[in-house]
Order: sequence, then structure tokens, then C-alpha cells
Amino acid sequence: MSHASGIPAVTAVPVARTSKYPPWAFYGVLFGVVSAASILLWGPIGVSGTYPRFIGALMRAFDPSYAEANPYLVRMGSLLKPETWLVVGLLIGGFIGARANREKTPKLEMVHPGEASPANRYRNAFIGGFLIILGARIAGGCTSGHIISGITQLSISGFIFAIGTFATGIISAKMLHARRAAGV
Amino acid sequence: MSASIYALLVGVAMGFFIQRVRASSPAMIASNLRLENLSVIKFMALTIAVGMVVVYALSLLMPQAMHFDIKPTYVIGVLLGGLVFGVGFGVGGYCPGTCVVGAGEGRKDAFFAILGGVVGALAFTLVYTTLIAPIVPLASYGKITLADVVHLPTMVVALVVGVIFLVVIRALPTEVKKAK
Repeated sequence: MSHASGIPAVTAVPVARTSKYPPWAFYGVLFGVVSAASILLWGPIGVSGTYPRFIGALMRAFDPSYAEANPYLVRMGSLLKPETWLVVGLLIGGFIGARANREKTPKLEMVHPGEASPANRYRNAFIGGFLIILGARIAGGCTSGHIISGITQLSISGFIFAIGTFATGIISAKMLHARRAAGV
Repeated sequence: MSASIYALLVGVAMGFFIQRVRASSPAMIASNLRLENLSVIKFMALTIAVGMVVVYALSLLMPQAMHFDIKPTYVIGVLLGGLVFGVGFGVGGYCPGTCVVGAGEGRKDAFFAILGGVVGALAFTLVYTTLIAPIVPLASYGKITLADVVHLPTMVVALVVGVIFLVVIRALPTEVKKAK
């Protein structure tokens, strides 16, 4: 049900009223210009590195000797980086976007048919969050760093990461959807 | 200092765009990954196509000013990381940035995704030396771009790839009609 009711709303979202283009096209062009401007002004956008830098900040507070001995935390450095401010900006941008939207953002949307209760959704969100950061750190970047910034800069690593991500992303999303038909 | 301010402003714009195209909705991400609705995939592809042409045009005008940062290509690790990432993307419906945008919107499950990400970063930090560091040198080619591989000027490659992306975006439907 959530999918059936969610999809028509996509085209009905009253964004960019002055534009005859769909939101994805209008904001896609804007985001392209912004991501290029970012490389001109300070560097390519990237989000996932902030997570281990946050772990590094916690470790330095609670177990400084471990933080100094862990080569990865040393390499990632402190949170005093522009990327941290980018992540703060995402939080603000999401807040502003939701307030500017006439349509109310749902506090909770079920994603897969197997999610019978909010607890199921929270569990899947947690598992998903765990795997995306684990995977992103293995690869050295995520959707923003590897796919958006990476392919924008024509980096080979960005193309490889995108192929891996969409391969298992498509398979896992389709499998979780098919569980309804199987009665699981 | 000014870099931090630019990064904050870019983050606000990025978060706003992501929210407006509903890329911060995990249900929307799942319908894109099921290939039922391609709007977010088209949004990303268009961002990349426009970005590559603009950024390499800017680099022709002011090469000294650019802050390019090409990530190294270590084929096994990047592919493995992408495969793990994709499972998380499919199950959770969030990526590391969109869950922060979702939290800004007030989505409850976004906070669980961020918490999962923090635990994932901790797990990664703990296994880095034993499991990750050994695979990084495998099939490693350094910071290479498509322009290095095909031996053409970056602006030419950016235009060709950008146009290919635009043609594919135009050719694909946004809402895919189910056969059944």
C-alpha cells in the first residue's frame, strides 16, 4: 500500500512551480552546478568519511591511546574538516526542504512489504546504515564521494563503485519485495 | 575557514535538493532500486552529467583554482565495498548522506540508519588493520580517470560521457510500467 500511494505523489509534489521540468531534472541540473562549484571552492562533496572521523573523536575522548595506535583513525584525522560542515549542512537542508514542502514529510514510511511494524523498519534502517558505512569505508567513498563526485571527475573508482552498488542494491530491493509473494 | 563555510552552504543546498526530489525517502529509493520509478537515478545521472561538463570547463578557464580530488582505484576493495554498500542501500533505503537529510526532515528511521552507520564505522575501524589494509594493494591503479585510460583530453571525455548520460536519461522512462 505504501508503494502504491507513494508513487503517484512523486509527480504531484508541487515543487518548482515556475519550472515546466520535473523536480529530478530541475534539481539535477542545480545539483550538478553546485557539485562543480564545490570542487572549485573547496573540494568534491563526500559524506561517509565523517562517520569514522566521529568515531575517532569519541575514541580520542575516551581511549586516547587506542586512537593514536589505530592507523585508520590517524589517517582520517579530526572532525575539524570542511566535510563535517557539509554533513551539518545536509541536516539543515533537509529541515528547510521539509518545511518548504507543502506536502507533509511522513515521520515513518514502510519500505519493504515484510516490514509489519515500526520496529521492523528501524531494524532494517539500522542494518542498512551499518552496511552502507562498512561498504563505503572499504571502498573509500559512498554515493556522494564515489558516485556523484567520483564520476563527475571521471574517476575509474567511481564507475566501479556504482556498478557494485547498483548490482546488489537492485537485487536486495527486489528480493525484499518478492518476499510478499512468497508469503514470508 | 572559508572552506568550511563553502562546505556548509554546499551541504545545505545538497540537502535541500535531495529532500525535494524525495531521495531522502527510503520508500522512494527502494522503488528506484526495484526499477519501478527511475526519478532519483535520473537525478543522480543528470547531476553527474552537468557536473562533469561544468567542472572540466571551469578547469580550462582557471586550472590553478580547482580542488580536484580523485579517489584511488583499488579494484577489489572498491568493488567489494560497492557490493556491501548496495545491500545496505537496498535493505535500509538510505545512503550516508540521505539519512542525515532524512533526520533533518524528522524521519524516525533515519536516526536508526545514522546509528547503524556509526556502529558500522566503529566495526570498520576495529577490523581495518587485519581485514581491510591487506586488500587495498590488490589490483591498485592509483588515482586514474577515464581520460587517462582513453588518452584523450578530459574536456572531450567529459562532453562525450555527459552526452551519453543525457541520451540515456532521455531514453529511459521515469515511471516504468509493469508488464503484469
